[in-house]
Amino acid sequence: MSGRSPWPRVLLAAMTVLALLWVAPLFWMFATGVKPTPEIFATPPRLLPGMPTGDHVHVVLTRWPFARWLLNSVIVATATTALSVIVSIPAAYVFTRLRWWGRDALFLVFLSSMLIPLEVNVIPLYFLMNRLHLLNTYPAVFLPMIGMPIGIFLLRQFFVNIPAELDDAARVDGCGNLRILWHVILPLSRPALAALVIYMFTFAWNEFFWSMIALSSPRMFTLPIGLRALQGAYDIDYGILMAGASLAALPALVLFLFLQQSIIRGITMTAHK
Amino acid sequence: MLRHPRLVSTAEIALFLLPFAAFWILFRLGPVLYGFYISLFRWDLLGEVTFIGLGNYATLARDPRFWNALRNTLGFAALAIPLIVGIGLLLALFVFGVRHSRAGRWLEAGFFFPYLLTVSVVGLIWRWMMDPDFGVLLIVLRSLGLGAPPFLNEPRWVIPALALTTAWWLAGYRMVLFRAALEDIPDELYEAARLDGASGARIFLSIVLPLLRPAVLFALVLTTISGFIVFGQVLIMTAGGPGRASEVLALYLYRYGFEFLQMGQAAAVGVVLFVIILGLTLLSFRWLGYESHL
Repeated sequence: MSGRSPWPRVLLAAMTVLALLWVAPLFWMFATGVKPTPEIFATPPRLLPGMPTGDHVHVVLTRWPFARWLLNSVIVATATTALSVIVSIPAAYVFTRLRWWGRDALFLVFLSSMLIPLEVNVIPLYFLMNRLHLLNTYPAVFLPMIGMPIGIFLLRQFFVNIPAELDDAARVDGCGNLRILWHVILPLSRPALAALVIYMFTFAWNEFFWSMIALSSPRMFTLPIGLRALQGAYDIDYGILMAGASLAALPALVLFLFLQQSIIRGITMTAHK
Repeated sequence: MLRHPRLVSTAEIALFLLPFAAFWILFRLGPVLYGFYISLFRWDLLGEVTFIGLGNYATLARDPRFWNALRNTLGFAALAIPLIVGIGLLLALFVFGVRHSRAGRWLEAGFFFPYLLTVSVVGLIWRWMMDPDFGVLLIVLRSLGLGAPPFLNEPRWVIPALALTTAWWLAGYRMVLFRAALEDIPDELYEAARLDGASGARIFLSIVLPLLRPAVLFALVLTTISGFIVFGQVLIMTAGGPGRASEVLALYLYRYGFEFLQMGQAAAVGVVLFVIILGLTLLSFRWLGYESHL
């Protein structure tokens, strides 16, 4: 795979075609969302909208609290991310920088639970949130996403590589654990923190099963749940459905265009030794 | 001399762990136990609750609809997992091959982006593309002279169609992880192999693949787990249909819990899923050594 053989060029050309095909469904979504209904169902299908229209977008935005869904998604994802980061940092610290009895055993327990998805718990969570009178609120959605061991693991991988001498030096200067964490460890851990933020935000932004159960009133819906409601109302009115899907995909697309490399790097770190 | 005497008090450790542990216990461990407890009761239509021990599990074992859901879930997993991991690996090799070019990054971004879409968007797009009458995918396939059955309406095709959709959604994520693993392989290894006259295929089989093994196995475990809880794309694209040909376990759980209000039976499905997934996790620790998760 050296840089001089003709291979990379052929490969690049082939891949460009493949990548275009790969994103074609997105193109089709955007195109359908702005086509007048007769064009949507034209045979043979037209690639580009002949007379683009904002009608479908208009229906989505005026008959549905779409902006509110977006806001709800932002609130839920931000709360999930902020709280997970806050609780994971001190826990990752005591698992890496300190030695204590039972540490590895406890870590293994958290580790075994890491891959247990939220989905298996929806029934008990529903009962729990009902008792706490939290159903149909933001906390009902974000609270279960906070104690996810992935946060500890991600930070831990990073913390273990910070030399212990730094802690020792700070300790000699009379720093306690809290100050070491704040002044020594965290400033060195920005990439890991960024990775965790990206991971948690995407996770919360896309959560579907539990949110659908926890949220019942349309004004509380997050984007994925709102789209599902849209489908329930218009079933096969694909113009409206694709307009809604386009609007829901837009924030991710815009963010990704700006933060593409940091997002990919952050996602990479979640499985990187 | 200051190497080890870390002066740590138990109280301080507890305090540092507490915020995380509280959430973990309340919303992860607690619900697992609570779910098991709920699964020991039966809800009748008037909301009357009766303790029936393991009766719900016996009901599941006798319910053909449950076995159908399990079979569909396994069928989906058996198709989706190799598709996601295989396509992810292939794309990673491609992207790695052109990693030095600027265009390479854009290509990678293109393959990766679907992962950032919510499952509703993915499900709606593919449902539209596979619409029996106007789906562009079917129309294109037919115009190429290929037989294209209305995938989502055919019991035999619906699970493969869902698996394909899921692969489009998630393969980019696997690609990024594999590409990172490829970058971890030192360049000297390739150089040495090439000096020894090894071919590209040989290098791939004897160097790249063995070194990627941990990453691939880990991806298999994660993908298997996400296969077991597949839900959103099924709900949006087929709602379990046609008939019950794509009713998967999570959908079965949802329906029994929130449509038929059989909370105990639904909770029992959750417990079954939990046991399967915990089993897979522990198995993967054995295969990979739990260190590989760190």
